[in-house]
Amino acid sequence: MNSKFIFRSILAVAVVAAASCKPDLKTITPSKGTADFSRYIAVGNSLTSGFADNGLYLEGQQNSFPLMIATQMQAVGGGTFSTPFFNANQADGTGHMSLTGFTTPTPPLPADPIITNVPAQAVIGSVTVPGFGTVPLFTKYTGDLNNYGVPGIRLNHITLTYYGNVNPYFERLLPNTSPANTTPYLSFVTAKPFTFFSMWLGNNDVLGYATGGAATAADLPTDKALFTQLYNLAAGTLVKGGTGGTGAKGVVATIPDVLSTPYFTTVTINAILAKVNVANPTANAKAVFIQPGTGSPRAATAADYLLLTLSSANIIGKPNAAGQPYGLDPRNPVESKYVLDQAEAAVIVDYTNSYNATIKSVAAANGLALFDANALFKSYAAGREVNGAVVSAAYITGNLFSLDGIHLTPIGYSIVANEFIKSINSQYGSSIPTVDVTKYRGVKFP
Amino acid sequence: MKKILLSFLLAVPILGYSQSFQVNLQGQKQTAMGGAGTGVALDEAAVFFNPGAVSFLKKNGVQVGASAIFLKAAFRENGSNITEYTKDKLSVPPAAYAVFGNPKNRLRFGLGVYVPFGGAVHWDPNWTGKYTVTSLDLQAIYVQPTLSYKITDHIGIGAGLVYANGKVDLRRAVPITLNDGTSSTAQLKGNSNDFGWNAGIYVETISGVTIGVTHRSQVTANVKDGDAIFKVPQALQSGFPTKFTAQLPLPATSSIGLGFYPSSKTIIAVDANWVHWSKYKVLAFDYDNNSRIPNTSSPRNYHDGGAVRVGIQNMATDRLALRLGAAYAFTPVGKGYVTPEVPDANRILLSAGLGYKASERFNIDLSFLYENIKSRNETNIETNLSGTFKTVAYIPGISLSYKW
Repeated sequence: MNSKFIFRSILAVAVVAAASCKPDLKTITPSKGTADFSRYIAVGNSLTSGFADNGLYLEGQQNSFPLMIATQMQAVGGGTFSTPFFNANQADGTGHMSLTGFTTPTPPLPADPIITNVPAQAVIGSVTVPGFGTVPLFTKYTGDLNNYGVPGIRLNHITLTYYGNVNPYFERLLPNTSPANTTPYLSFVTAKPFTFFSMWLGNNDVLGYATGGAATAADLPTDKALFTQLYNLAAGTLVKGGTGGTGAKGVVATIPDVLSTPYFTTVTINAILAKVNVANPTANAKAVFIQPGTGSPRAATAADYLLLTLSSANIIGKPNAAGQPYGLDPRNPVESKYVLDQAEAAVIVDYTNSYNATIKSVAAANGLALFDANALFKSYAAGREVNGAVVSAAYITGNLFSLDGIHLTPIGYSIVANEFIKSINSQYGSSIPTVDVTKYRGVKFP
Repeated sequence: MKKILLSFLLAVPILGYSQSFQVNLQGQKQTAMGGAGTGVALDEAAVFFNPGAVSFLKKNGVQVGASAIFLKAAFRENGSNITEYTKDKLSVPPAAYAVFGNPKNRLRFGLGVYVPFGGAVHWDPNWTGKYTVTSLDLQAIYVQPTLSYKITDHIGIGAGLVYANGKVDLRRAVPITLNDGTSSTAQLKGNSNDFGWNAGIYVETISGVTIGVTHRSQVTANVKDGDAIFKVPQALQSGFPTKFTAQLPLPATSSIGLGFYPSSKTIIAVDANWVHWSKYKVLAFDYDNNSRIPNTSSPRNYHDGGAVRVGIQNMATDRLALRLGAAYAFTPVGKGYVTPEVPDANRILLSAGLGYKASERFNIDLSFLYENIKSRNETNIETNLSGTFKTVAYIPGISLSYKW
């Protein structure tokens, strides 16, 4: 009977059907618009370098947002992009934090993370710079360079001739060994022609003041007028396209509100008091006492910021010589370096707003694309779903910030890369494809 | 041949597709005719299509069939230039019927086993929507004993009790990074056992046109004590649940169908279905341990869906029947609610088939159904997954029947 034949025919049809089954979506042809991405350079600080978990290390560099952008630019004529990677045998770079466990606290207290430091592998020595002090030396990077991100650099460092001697991250990119360098950062990045740049500078001009609890005079925010002058200089220099270049287009970014990062939001008065009172029910602690920047010790309020470093220092309640518990007695307050008091926080906000107004106006004046990082991080502060994953500013569990509470996770950097790409696309009519955020990780759990 | 048929029936990962996770492949003749069959007394599949028409079948019979669903969905995230596809995953929903009793009597009996709801969608475990879903296997097998009674020579009514056995296996990635840099995963697996009913009326009018009206009730699939398997970092494992409960409405369908008989060799069937999807408001999971994750309640807010179907059967010879059909189905999924486990949209269905009478008692029917689900650019209001979905399905099917 011919049922066998029919059956075979059905199977044949089925196989053909399965093979031709792919649904078609309208073809997309990415375009470069009015920009030229053939040599893209990234100018900036730690965020540009891929710094994460309080260190610069290979995995972080591989997940830097400029590399993500450059990879996507290759769909629209972008060239090769070189990052000053640490060697694979020095993959831990300058060392970094690692989450290795959680405490088992007395209920109902939440578990605290146990963070250990992975030691540096790329530190090859140190050098004494006259008038400055001892500076570590990292393994030099020689070779092509597109990612010029230098952790720690402030806008008011970019014209300093000696800066390459005091910042080891910059020193490792330069030809000479400290203290023999004389090339300012801005000259270094513009020494070769380029067609496109990203510049995300200015964060450290306010960050150092904030993260140090406003305790060090050297960390004072850069003067507002000087910031404006230097930002104009940097943008005006970069749009020329470097030595031998014929002009460049670019994108700049505003400075995020550092006070909404986990570094400032994780340690709270209530958490400290709960811990003290559970550990010792007779303590009956009702206030945390701080040493503000000016004036005498006082009880902390919700308008003061307690820094993440206070938690890792693990000193709350430690009695001093007089038996007064640290932070719980006005005579033994939390030191200023662990506190950003209300007045200091207001300074941070004021300078950040002023810098961002400058960045926006300079971007507009030079026809540059602008990524409003300040607005972006605000939108994620309370949590937002990205393709079904909740991403928030919560420490460790929020997926956005790495273990240092300020720098980003690979997920965070991929979100940043996409926002840069969207800004570029809208300014220059290009269609650089976005990156897939879900391919990147958050904080690694043990 | 029997072996192949058997292996089809044993290939349990059933499921298919037509209007969200509703499956409309309950009879090969009807499938070949655009899925229409409520207003005609075609064959034993009337147990499903219209229990009222069962008493009008001229012979008793048994029928066993299955359809093979080759379904492919594509997704491209907005802004991206990469298109991702679902993996090849063959689903083979079976359908089997028996009709017995004396054809001369007013009362007849029927039994149906079929799959009215299901789905098998498997994305790459690392695709861009992995935190929403990586795979869904869903199947509801209905077993329906049926009574059909001819009130007069021209009016029949029928009703069946439905026992529904459901099975679900939902997997997704969880945005917590394991120590090797990959994502955590969750798998929710469970069974349900519930009841419903199916009833219909069938009328032969004086003009010769036949009319059928049916209603298949909602079955609410209750998954109790399902397994929640979370593969998460060891340090967090104790805070995650191991069991879950969930409820999924398998909605009611009301249908009206007409049969026209322009010649002794030709039947034209026209159907309209109204699917009461608006009961599907949320997809909620309650867990036995909420210290790390809360119970979830994802909005679905479906509205009612529907379909119009038309099919024709022509006896080309005494032994060979040719069939053609077409249908248009209206999606129940509103803007902002499209999810990758069921990337639904309005769809066009085209079908063809043939029936061969090998002997007086033995029949074989083949069908081929093509479904084109319109492309849809959507941003989900819950997950913010944003992009274009497009799905097509090719569904060949076969059934064998024996009449006496």
